[in-house]
Amino acid sequence: MTDAFLSIRGIRKAYGAVTAVKNVSMDIAEGEFMTFLGPSGSGKSTTLYILAGFQDPTEGDILIRGKSLLSTPAHKRNIGMVFQRYTLFPHLTVGENVAFPLRIRRRPKSEIIERVRAALKLVRLEGLEDRKPANMSGGQQQRVALARALVYNPPVLLMDEPLSALDKKLREEIQFEIRRIHQETGVTILYVTHDQEEALRLSDRIAVFSQGEIDQIGTGKELYANPATLFVAGFIGDSNFIDAEVIAVDGANAKLALPGGVQVAGVPVHGTARPGAKTSLMLRPERIDIELGTRPGHLSGTVADITFLGNNIHLVVAHERAKPISVRLPFGHSALDGLTSGTKVTLHFNPESAHGFVDASTSGNG
Amino acid sequence: MLLDFDKLGALKPFLVGLTAIVCLFLVLPIIFIAALSFGSSQWLIFPPPGWTLRWYHELFADPRWLYSALTSLKIAAIVTVLSVVIGFLAALGLNRGNFLGREALRALFLTPMILPVVVLAVALYALFLRLGLAGTTIAFVIAHLVIALPFSIISIGNALEGFDKSIEDAAILCGANPWEARLRITVPAISHGIFGAAVFSFLASWDEVVLAIFMASPTLQTLPVKIWATLRQDLTPVIAAASTLLIAFTIVLMLIAALFHRRRKK
Repeated sequence: MTDAFLSIRGIRKAYGAVTAVKNVSMDIAEGEFMTFLGPSGSGKSTTLYILAGFQDPTEGDILIRGKSLLSTPAHKRNIGMVFQRYTLFPHLTVGENVAFPLRIRRRPKSEIIERVRAALKLVRLEGLEDRKPANMSGGQQQRVALARALVYNPPVLLMDEPLSALDKKLREEIQFEIRRIHQETGVTILYVTHDQEEALRLSDRIAVFSQGEIDQIGTGKELYANPATLFVAGFIGDSNFIDAEVIAVDGANAKLALPGGVQVAGVPVHGTARPGAKTSLMLRPERIDIELGTRPGHLSGTVADITFLGNNIHLVVAHERAKPISVRLPFGHSALDGLTSGTKVTLHFNPESAHGFVDASTSGNG
Repeated sequence: MLLDFDKLGALKPFLVGLTAIVCLFLVLPIIFIAALSFGSSQWLIFPPPGWTLRWYHELFADPRWLYSALTSLKIAAIVTVLSVVIGFLAALGLNRGNFLGREALRALFLTPMILPVVVLAVALYALFLRLGLAGTTIAFVIAHLVIALPFSIISIGNALEGFDKSIEDAAILCGANPWEARLRITVPAISHGIFGAAVFSFLASWDEVVLAIFMASPTLQTLPVKIWATLRQDLTPVIAAASTLLIAFTIVLMLIAALFHRRRKK
């Protein structure tokens, strides 16, 4: 894809012996909402700061409409950014804050007034021009920061965990606003977060970062249904991981041996699977069905805990040779009648909905 | 609070008394000097036998007093400006820079605070003599700058420490070049630190006497030097009058600083 709007190519960033970003490449379409998701220290923020121009990559290039961005200093990149912390200019009013990028660009006064008003309207803070940042809530301050970052119509908006300082309710409210603003303005957004729910709610696509590399890029649905790595599987959504061993390989699928002598065939595996390789079998809690009583040759266990969560019921099933397994059943499921702690149950799942992740250290020498 | 005043019991009157004594010890000399400056006795007798404004008349009648006050003002003003500018740049470097020997450099900048002033004065005098600068305003300014800078660096450094650099970064992404961002955003945001630096730098020069005695020449005398020189010739209440005005000016400056600080907190 040579004509991508924004292209990150082979970015590497090393601080002495420590490599913060190893080899990050991706293409982003114009108007796309792309989220960098990962734990702290995974390189997502560093990548964003390289885009902003506050850090230079050790290797690699960043292109906007085919032109390299790296030789342009940060203040000439014309990129908008909302930071994790509150970064409103404390001595200026809200109106002056939003006007700042336009004043720097020496826009005529009438245009500034009009665009500041429009930007504040966009973030639903009309009429608060004369407030000082210190007299505003955290949510309001981040909205002003958003208005300030958008008032000069930057082609790209960077957001570095802008909601992490807010409480949950406010966070969800502003997530909704961000989504609306993205739709209204059509600006390309690169959004950094460690909150998978936030990433799923906002993004067109998500790039999952782990240890300085991108494990997988895809829509939330793709990442949830087909995680490429054990890390992605664990990071997006709830998962059970059951220790297993490869018995036989059939193309991309494998036959696995589970604890208690149970065998499952037809599980899609990731990584080089060889007989004998240690594998983690991933099962989503809602993809498991239960049946009362035990059945030979099937995974079974004892119900250890039942939690009623409204529209679904969460079970913890203890297994004598594996970690407890989470199961999520819809409200009204027939097996729930007469189910109590201590009931023996059999767990059913479709092998195709499971994923096997081969432990790389055991795949090489069998 | 761990040390709640209301819970101190028997210690309370003792502490109140001790505090009162310390306060009196600090304030009484100032009150005495002010009283003596209005006293009619030529021999600085306390309590004054009568009251007069004579010494103030004499003070203002002598152009040398006014001239030395203006000299003090001029030197203190130049020192203040240079101290704030250099202090800001130094604090910025010490705060943001990531270089070998940064802590050593920070310590070096603060050494004038612990170095005996006389030692500094002799050393600077010897240096200026060799450079042919002895007795010049430049030498005066440099000498006072040396002792004023630590105040600036500490005051501005503390303000920078409490200032989130992301705010400056935000200004840069808004299109301001790095120096524009610093001058238009960072400097106003840390104005309290800069104001503090200015006040302390001014005062460090304004009532400094040891360096001033070494840097002074018969034609270049600051107010403290003039007081010192007059004191050695004869003990006239005019000195008390000059001292009173010096103290009054300093108090006014401190009050302005306090008011400024209060307004910022609101």
